[in-house]
Amino acid sequence: MMDASERLRRPAYLRIWGALLVPLFLAAAYLGLVWSPQDVNQGNLIRIMYAHVSVAWIGFVAVGFTALFGALFLWRGKRRDDVLAAASGEMALLYSSLTIIGGMTYSRPTLNTFWTWDAKLTLTALMVALLVGYFIVRALVDDPVRRGRVSAVVAIVVAASLPFNYLAAEWFRTLHPSRSIALDGSGVTMAPEMLFTLLFTTVVAGLIYAWFMVDRARLGHIEAQLEAERAKRELGAAPSAGGVVRV
Amino acid sequence: MNDLLAVLWIARKDLLHETRSKATTVATLFFSAVTLVVLAFAIGQDEQLLRGAATGALWVAIAFAGVISAAQSYQADLEDGAFDHLLTTPVPRAAVYLGKLLANWLFMLVLSLLMLPVTFVLYGAGFPGAWPWLLATVALGTLGFALIAVFYAGLTANLRARESLLPVLMFPIVVPILLASVRASGALVGVGDLELAQGWLRLLVAFDLVYAVLCTAIYHFVVEE
Repeated sequence: MMDASERLRRPAYLRIWGALLVPLFLAAAYLGLVWSPQDVNQGNLIRIMYAHVSVAWIGFVAVGFTALFGALFLWRGKRRDDVLAAASGEMALLYSSLTIIGGMTYSRPTLNTFWTWDAKLTLTALMVALLVGYFIVRALVDDPVRRGRVSAVVAIVVAASLPFNYLAAEWFRTLHPSRSIALDGSGVTMAPEMLFTLLFTTVVAGLIYAWFMVDRARLGHIEAQLEAERAKRELGAAPSAGGVVRV
Repeated sequence: MNDLLAVLWIARKDLLHETRSKATTVATLFFSAVTLVVLAFAIGQDEQLLRGAATGALWVAIAFAGVISAAQSYQADLEDGAFDHLLTTPVPRAAVYLGKLLANWLFMLVLSLLMLPVTFVLYGAGFPGAWPWLLATVALGTLGFALIAVFYAGLTANLRARESLLPVLMFPIVVPILLASVRASGALVGVGDLELAQGWLRLLVAFDLVYAVLCTAIYHFVVEE
């Protein structure tokens, strides 16, 4: 058995990956704040968009991965998948909260209001509520296997609800400027420098998400081992403590 | 074939239990009526405003009643461990879900049909000419609510703080149902815009279909021991 400090040590690949994230983040900040040209209509405000949109996209990806790992746990029953699902869920909650803050920062100067009932902003607010629900459920179930299954079910239902929430909010009322990038790559109306900056910040946001998720899952795995050892110890101690009232 | 029978028997059991005890009926009926009255007070005496808010108030009342009825349908089963007995019977868990769904849907349907005239009287809205479409909206909307409510009520039935947890979990999911139902019935009652209502009804149908399949498929993970 490894001793405690060795077990807690961050593996080498994570340390290198983490160290690389710092210059990458600075490069993304330089591209967005200095290198990218001003927008014709929005001027310097377009620079908020690089941080806001990249974080929003990765937030949705994170919810998708939470549901995916949850589904894997239901299928294979490996504890590792549940730990990854929870780690990804935490990052999804962080990124969608940041998306709301970014969206409000962006819409105050451009649309002259902090909150609009715009489809994407409404969708993100609902996503935060859904993710909080996911973690409330996780906190309320003690048995790890049952916790994994129940929270996986919640994650799948949450992921399935996103397209409906989006459609409903979109039809309800939309104030958002129309998308400049179509999914098939056609109809790009951005300057190439802007597009490059946006894609670069998105990749960096994705790498940061992945790093925190992997590192959180590593800690989650240690937590799970600790939980299992404690349960085993309590089980082993119970018969010898016969007659003694446990406090 | 036998599974279909099981669905019907479970629905019959729940409905029979309800017609004999009437506990949920009385609670939800008065609760939704009180909700309608309270909302009318909150909106004030402006007739125009009241008429515009009619369908919104109706669906809020239905949504709250749906939470109560779904939670109660498990509560009755959990007493004396009857639910465990139900799970040990040789029927698929999906049949348990569909049976409870059927019972809850019928219950909510009847409740909504009773609340419709109350809303029209209290809020002074005119009964729409296209009433079959309004009935379709009520049927599809209550089905969507029941799908999620029965599913999540099964998940929370064994948890602490289930009374507050169920609405917290289910309301963000049913937002599209609420929006689509309110908009569709609003379009029918207000200006009589059938085309607009049908657009929202399509969203309701899609939601109901997707969640009927999804919830039935993964329900057995929810209720296992």
